[in-house]
Amino acid sequence: MSVSNETSWTAKVRERAVGALPPEKLLADKQPVYVASWIYVFGVLSLASLIVIIGSGSILALKGPGWWHFTSVGHFFNSTHLWSVELFFFFIVIHLWGKYWMAAWRGGRARVWITGAVTFLVAIPCALTGYVSQQNFDAQWISTQAKDAMNAAGIGAFFNLLNFGQMYSYHILLLPAAVVALVIAHVLLVRKHGVVPPFEVRQTSETVEAETATPPVEEVHS
Amino acid sequence: MIASVFNLNHPTHTVHWHFFSMSVANVVVIILLFVVFVAALLIPFPSARQGGSQ
Repeated sequence: MSVSNETSWTAKVRERAVGALPPEKLLADKQPVYVASWIYVFGVLSLASLIVIIGSGSILALKGPGWWHFTSVGHFFNSTHLWSVELFFFFIVIHLWGKYWMAAWRGGRARVWITGAVTFLVAIPCALTGYVSQQNFDAQWISTQAKDAMNAAGIGAFFNLLNFGQMYSYHILLLPAAVVALVIAHVLLVRKHGVVPPFEVRQTSETVEAETATPPVEEVHS
Repeated sequence: MIASVFNLNHPTHTVHWHFFSMSVANVVVIILLFVVFVAALLIPFPSARQGGSQ
């Protein structure tokens, strides 16, 4: 027989988490009808690319530069890592454009927009540190060019493109951890607030009310 | 070893127009971004055609 203690911090955290994101909202099986558009696909494509990036990057980190430069399987994973990054940025840019023109911060969704935009900004140095971590002439060229930009911005003293150890640490730990944490926060906030509805042709008090409310879920879209 | 599909053994081709200077590869990617963005807005989604209207 268990005894419930409502004053414990675990109970409070659980109640708050379940209150904000009940299971049917966290793992919804229905979406509003307006989500049936290709422009809504690019968020999940960015997410899929990120999963491939993390997976291929983990293998590269385990095997090391001798493997990714001089074996055919290493070349394959190196290329997979590069092209999943290219696709990630391609998809996230279209996702960002789509959400910008939808004004996706409407209806109390400011934190959804901010976490998405900051994810894009943090992903840029994450990619840059990857380019300078390749251990080849390309990496040398990029690091010697980019260091001037960092020095001009006044951050070269603590973000040194010529310091391989520092760049590699940023690339395989600090920045990916930040991107993944931001993406998790972004997805949870999307689940909490729902997907932003499109603009109505004519703004009325009813449509304004609909924008601020939780979107309807009775329309099935699988 | 299989040669690259594209011959990359030459200096980068760039697009120059007044102050604008960018590699052809980057210009192609930016054009592709616009094309895919417009296509995503205009091409109907499959389930929307199968009676997903309100």
